[in-house]
Amino acid sequence: MARAGGSDLAQQEQRLAYWLLAPTFIILLVIAIYPLVSVFYNSFTNAVFASTTPTEFVGLQNYQTLLSMTIKVVPPKLDEAGQPIIDEATGQIKYESAVSVLPREPMRFRQVTQFNLFGTQYVLGATDPDFIRAVWDTIIFAVATVFLELVLGMIVALIVNANFKGRGLMRAIILVPWAIPTAVSSQMWAYMLQPNRTGFFNTLFWYLGLGSGEIPFLSDPAWQLPSMIMIDVWKTTPFMALLLLAGLQLIPSDIYEAADVDGASPTRQFFQLTLPLLRGTIAVALVFRTLDALRVFDLFQIVLGQARYSMASYTYYQLIQNRQMGYSSASSVVIFVVLSIFAVAYMRSLGVKSDEH
Amino acid sequence: MNTKTRQRVNRILLWVLIIVMAIWMLFPFYWAINSSFKSESMLAMTPATFVPRDPTTKQISLFFRNYEAVFTNQAFLRAIVNSAVVAGSVTLLALAVGAFAGFALGKLRYRGKTGTLYVILAMTMFPAIAVLTGLYAMITNLGIQPIPSMIATYLLFSLPFTAWVLTAFFRELPTEIFQSAQVDGASPFQTFYMIMLPLTAPALVTTGLLAFIGAWNEYLFALTFTSIAPASRTLPVIIANFPSQFSMQIPFGEIMAAGIISSVPLIALVFIFQRRIVAGLTAGAVKG
Repeated sequence: MARAGGSDLAQQEQRLAYWLLAPTFIILLVIAIYPLVSVFYNSFTNAVFASTTPTEFVGLQNYQTLLSMTIKVVPPKLDEAGQPIIDEATGQIKYESAVSVLPREPMRFRQVTQFNLFGTQYVLGATDPDFIRAVWDTIIFAVATVFLELVLGMIVALIVNANFKGRGLMRAIILVPWAIPTAVSSQMWAYMLQPNRTGFFNTLFWYLGLGSGEIPFLSDPAWQLPSMIMIDVWKTTPFMALLLLAGLQLIPSDIYEAADVDGASPTRQFFQLTLPLLRGTIAVALVFRTLDALRVFDLFQIVLGQARYSMASYTYYQLIQNRQMGYSSASSVVIFVVLSIFAVAYMRSLGVKSDEH
Repeated sequence: MNTKTRQRVNRILLWVLIIVMAIWMLFPFYWAINSSFKSESMLAMTPATFVPRDPTTKQISLFFRNYEAVFTNQAFLRAIVNSAVVAGSVTLLALAVGAFAGFALGKLRYRGKTGTLYVILAMTMFPAIAVLTGLYAMITNLGIQPIPSMIATYLLFSLPFTAWVLTAFFRELPTEIFQSAQVDGASPFQTFYMIMLPLTAPALVTTGLLAFIGAWNEYLFALTFTSIAPASRTLPVIIANFPSQFSMQIPFGEIMAAGIISSVPLIALVFIFQRRIVAGLTAGAVKG
């Protein structure tokens, strides 16, 4: 009797669980899975948004245009005697224009960048140099921000984990950059980075005797990425610090007491106790933040617009400005695949606790 | 150096670090406040001043017109209402639906639980950009208005997040309460509704707060769905592309004022609920 009642109750419980989960799964099916499938489908077509031209199936053409790359040798310019021409002003060898060596048929390749390896000049060409540059910039951005945020976040976490008067206030203060809308913080920083001394940074550098007071932080390609990285580090270090703080609080304090008794210095305690014990937390935080950084949109879109793209802002640009639905779908798929790889790594490192087994 | 002086040196070092950190975190916000009280001619001064100063007399003087301009800017006022409606609705919906799922995931036993947990965890990381084109096409084809569109699509990130965080909270509730209620003849749903839900009220507040902040700050969907519907724009969209009534140049003074106005509610929440926000954030990201 008792067992029959128990299994009846268990069945009732199971049915309830399915009913309670149903709304969540139905909503996610409609707003995530269905659109994802349609994005996959569209990525194989030449669909143009809000257009009357019939949509055609184009196979892998979008992906081919997005991802095709080639590397060619750029020959030096030669004089009549067959000797390379040296630029008299710089002492550098003059090279032919990259356009002359990049293929034009069947698809036209344009220059992404040039580089010199063992005395030979090469050009990296792509059929869509903007996308390749966006992918490259986004990866550089992600690696740099995540690394800096980890180091600074660790320092912040150690500070707010220490005992001092006003610790609660300090923990609230570090939440401020995190809570401010990215749209607002992007505008705040864009104003601080103005290309003349009305901007804070140019004023500061000028007071310190660095630079002319007219550094074009947001229009000079050499400054654009470092500026983006600086803004993101300010905005997201607090979040990283909180993740690490949660990990720090799980470490029992008596092991530090034991280390104190043994006379281990604080630096040694950090590298030999804290860091190894925090390894799991750090792994989770790293993957979580990398995922976030790779899909950066707000910051690039607001501060740089079409001057320089992240993967996400390029996709947005293709959809809204160019109405290239098929093409932007293909770049969405590329982003999705890249992020999925990281997401799987994240879930592996996190693991899921379930009492099913 | 004896222990006492070393301790004192450490203490001073700690405070130096604390102060540097506080300045780093707060300075951009201070600079925005500073700039929001400057007129266009004060903003054009070189070098920029650290407090608002009159361009000719160099005396400290505050300029309030930016706030006046912002508070009489119809587009901005409408954006506040739009943001409140969207973020409020998303929060309530996500909490209602997410609490059901969180209870099932955290407390009930059923076949396929590990799978569903993985799905929810994976969905918390789902990149919105990947479905942007699909969602936009769907919304345009169905002719859904921008505000309901935003409410529905924001669930893409707020629903898995609420479900996941609430799962962690439900799991921490003692199972005995659940069992004894069942022994007393309560159905599982009654147990959930009358006993478990009230117990998780603090967790609901925390999670709701985080969902609200996320929805209030969302930019990508808002920008896309309101690209041809200016009346439906939310605060981030308005602030990123500020429509000034007076200025021909980029109205940085007004933008800073508008930015501060839209950040203040969030900063107030952060200071009031600091402890809970930290708990909720870390429960969402770290605890499995």
